[in-house]
Amino acid sequence: MKAAEVAEPAVGDAYLVARAQEGYIDAYELLVQRHSAMAYRVALRLTGNHHDAQDVAQEALIAAWENLTRFRAGSSFSTWLYQIVTRRALNKVSRGQAASSLELLPDVADTAAEPAVQAERDLTADAVTDALLALPFPQRVVIVLHHFERLSYSEVAAVTGSTEPAVRSHLFRARRALGKTLEEWR
Amino acid sequence: MSGPVNDPPPGPPAPRQLLAAATVACGADVDLLLEQVADGHGGDRDAHQEQCVHCQAALIEFSVLWDPVTELAAAPVSPPPGLVAAVMTQIRSLVRDVWYTLEITRIGTIRIAARIVAALARDSARMIPGVRVALGRSTQGPIAALAEKATFGHHHPHAAVGVLGRTAVVDLAVAVTYEDPVHEVARDIQRLVTATLRDQIGLRSVTVNVTVDDILGDDEQ
Repeated sequence: MKAAEVAEPAVGDAYLVARAQEGYIDAYELLVQRHSAMAYRVALRLTGNHHDAQDVAQEALIAAWENLTRFRAGSSFSTWLYQIVTRRALNKVSRGQAASSLELLPDVADTAAEPAVQAERDLTADAVTDALLALPFPQRVVIVLHHFERLSYSEVAAVTGSTEPAVRSHLFRARRALGKTLEEWR
Repeated sequence: MSGPVNDPPPGPPAPRQLLAAATVACGADVDLLLEQVADGHGGDRDAHQEQCVHCQAALIEFSVLWDPVTELAAAPVSPPPGLVAAVMTQIRSLVRDVWYTLEITRIGTIRIAARIVAALARDSARMIPGVRVALGRSTQGPIAALAEKATFGHHHPHAAVGVLGRTAVVDLAVAVTYEDPVHEVARDIQRLVTATLRDQIGLRSVTVNVTVDDILGDDEQ
């Protein structure tokens, strides 16, 4: 039988988490479909290469399943997943496996651009990526979560288990460090 | 805020100088100016900034400096195509009660994984008008347990599996729309799912438990 045309279900994460906790694996599959791009994107920005990012995203999504019974109703699944991804990324980076930022280039490439313009964009993206990877991990996390993922200070605080003032303070230092590195590159 | 706001500086300070200082010449906080730019509000100048050449120069310098970060943040990142499948394959391997239907024929046996039974049931349920979300799982159930006991095996030699025989108990969690009578939708689901599992998997006895646990309005569809 051909499945009916099924659009993205119009139910929230909380509904799917509750069903997944009851053993409906396809509910968790919908959560994976919904959040895997975010998990991969964050992992890529934190680790700096596709291979590690795929490992981190995969491990995080499986770890979330394994620990689903610990997930508290009323919490945000995405915040919880951000936590798991950042922890897994830290583990990966701590093992000294952060790799070349050159591997980020395909993601930022604009295929419609002129070759010369494209090359310059690639260099710029590469410089930003290098600068990002040069930051201490906690500063990298707040930059990625706030400026790349557009999370608010309170959301970043929830992910990092910190406070809003601490997040803001980290961001002040991280922006200055990032700015200094980019200034040297210019 | 203190200090001169209209005295033109000798030249715009280099970002390096700005980033090494706590404040610009007028006393404005460098961190706050950089935050303003990084949060995308470099052009939203307050009353002081409208008049202050130092703040204006710093905002412009920081905007140029931060633009590449904004561009990279906005660049699309596509996950690897096989990521979802890889995750779900591993998760399914972690689930221990991997039940199978078992049909013994004259020339061998036919096994169909319980998750296939659940997926077929789910997809059938989604074809019923009024069903917005359907999630399926296949459970062992007392009838299936008896069937298993009556058949010859408990476990696949290579995995922790059991058999459902030709009896299946399927649980469906569904969310329906407001427009359709809930009990009629639920009965339609039972009828269609039962027929589908009998026709497509050859199950002899099918129990379909439907739980309607959400009703969605038009704005949620």
